[in-house]
Amino acid sequence: MTLTHRGRARGCLLGLAAGDALGRPAENLSPEQIAARWGRLTEIDGGGTDDTEYTIFAASLLIRHGHALTSQDVAQAYQQEIIPLIDGPMKGAGFSELGAIQALRQGLRPPLTGQWHRHGWSDGLAMRAAPYGIFAAGDPGEAARLVEVDGSVSNAGEGILGGRAVAGAVAAAMAGASPDEAVTAGLGVIPEDSWTARSVNRAREALGPGSGDVAGRLHEAVVVRHYPWTDLAPEAVALAFAAYLMGGGEVEESVVIAANLGRDADTTAAIAGALAGAGRGEAAVPERWARQIGPVEGRCLPVTAGRHVLDVADQLVEGT
Amino acid sequence: MTSGDRILGAFAGLAMGDAAGWPSSRHRAGVHAPWSRRLHRELDAFAEEHRVTTLPVPFALNQPVAPLVMGPSDDAEWLAWTVLTIDEDRAAAFAGLTGRDDVRARISVRTALDNLARGLGPPASGHDNPHFFDDAAVVRAVAFGAAGLDPTADAQVTNAGDGVLGAVAMARAIGVLVDGGPMGDAVRAALEALPGDTVIGRATRVALAVAREAGDPFAAVPALDEALFDHVYSYGVAAAETLPVALALAEVSGGSIRTAVPAAACLAAAADSAPALTGALTGAFTGHDALPRGWSTTLTGCCLPELAGIDLLDIVRGRIG
Repeated sequence: MTLTHRGRARGCLLGLAAGDALGRPAENLSPEQIAARWGRLTEIDGGGTDDTEYTIFAASLLIRHGHALTSQDVAQAYQQEIIPLIDGPMKGAGFSELGAIQALRQGLRPPLTGQWHRHGWSDGLAMRAAPYGIFAAGDPGEAARLVEVDGSVSNAGEGILGGRAVAGAVAAAMAGASPDEAVTAGLGVIPEDSWTARSVNRAREALGPGSGDVAGRLHEAVVVRHYPWTDLAPEAVALAFAAYLMGGGEVEESVVIAANLGRDADTTAAIAGALAGAGRGEAAVPERWARQIGPVEGRCLPVTAGRHVLDVADQLVEGT
Repeated sequence: MTSGDRILGAFAGLAMGDAAGWPSSRHRAGVHAPWSRRLHRELDAFAEEHRVTTLPVPFALNQPVAPLVMGPSDDAEWLAWTVLTIDEDRAAAFAGLTGRDDVRARISVRTALDNLARGLGPPASGHDNPHFFDDAAVVRAVAFGAAGLDPTADAQVTNAGDGVLGAVAMARAIGVLVDGGPMGDAVRAALEALPGDTVIGRATRVALAVAREAGDPFAAVPALDEALFDHVYSYGVAAAETLPVALALAEVSGGSIRTAVPAAACLAAAADSAPALTGALTGAFTGHDALPRGWSTTLTGCCLPELAGIDLLDIVRGRIG
């Protein structure tokens, strides 16, 4: 069966939302803690988090501005659609997004808004990179350029590279690339001499023959042991790509593997789900998961409330 | 005043500033039995649960009393280690610490040691590092500046970006001061190493401007707090926060440790190392003889146990200058 562009786009964002929802309760847990609690975490219990809502927000920027998107457009959207709706403490915001909002409130402009705080490496851009890959399907370079336009507002350094790698890999998967080809395409749009590239390459090596369990080897290869936070883009992107490769690009397997690896599990499972969904299409997302994905509630970004990832996918396809 | 006196002043000033910040007693508690720190955590939880503001800590019954008195901690120890190893290849010096389970260090250094153990040398060991921006290398740069050496190779083992720029700026400022230059020249030398389009460069210029506007160190405290810290998440030791505070307070104080270090210690978010860096700059400016007496420069071994009981200045004498 030939997959349509629309089917891949819908699969990509549905896979992302399913991964976000499946991984949510496993966030910041170790594989051992997950195994002790669920055996294997395979069933969605409740909705997703910031990953899905920020993805919808990023898609709305692309739908409005397309290839002409500028960092100033993105900063303006933060100022008009995010900041005025913050009522008290911001819920579910990633480090980089919150840092950018603080910087924007101080009157700074991009790219300084992504540099002024210390969370430039956050995976906040990687988690919302999929729409750029959908929009620039088959053109990883353009997908990476566009996601960097967005990321310059909130991220710097490796956080931008993590976003570029995911957008590039999704763009390749949208055009029918195999998991191995898609990961290679993601690596192709970031410098070889980068933490993210080294981390992804170490993860790939860890999937080869070796002693001990694969989860343990992956953690040994990419996890920063002496750091209390798990949302480091080089680590999250490497774990997500590894899960996608281990799952052979199959949606359920890739997402479940990512979620059960722990760490920033909602984000890594969302990325793995976006890649696998782009490669296999909407019909490959398990029906029991798809039924759980409704319109988002706007818990993190009120401006996204009521929107459904499948409608957003359709609009992205119409815009290309 | 001799160059030797200014060199000793840089190290003594750093130790005094290190001691003046509130985190010092937390670091020094590291030499006590683990149960005493567990009790600290439990008493914190008790205070939270019972809504009492009187915290019955520290609690160190039957523990050695030396670490309980005021004194230097992590920054002075890592600076002492730097002096002791300054003639060694920097990656090799750090590699000598990998595999040890008795070392305490900043996140940048802990991660760099893991990277080195994994076979990843500089500059990747400092770059592939969540806290590449911290001031671990800025502290160590006091030794390089006092010895007239470039700190870059050392800084790149544990840091990148602002963390390395800060080290170069600190070494240049200390270099100017131990050669007898005025504080204004030291600040200018630091600024030349901090490009305006970097965060640390911009933050330093902002800090200098608000401190000059305030007119004296204590008056500058709220303005620095407002200008440099986001108050949402504190990394505590980011070079782009601590070095700007130190340079601004050293300048606006006219090089006086007596007013600059207490002001730095008032900035709770930066109190782990901004007072130490401020002390190094002002101590190098006035020299050791002009510094107040009574401040201990004896190390406890809270980060590097082999340094317990050793005076930082004894390590410096004969090795630097």
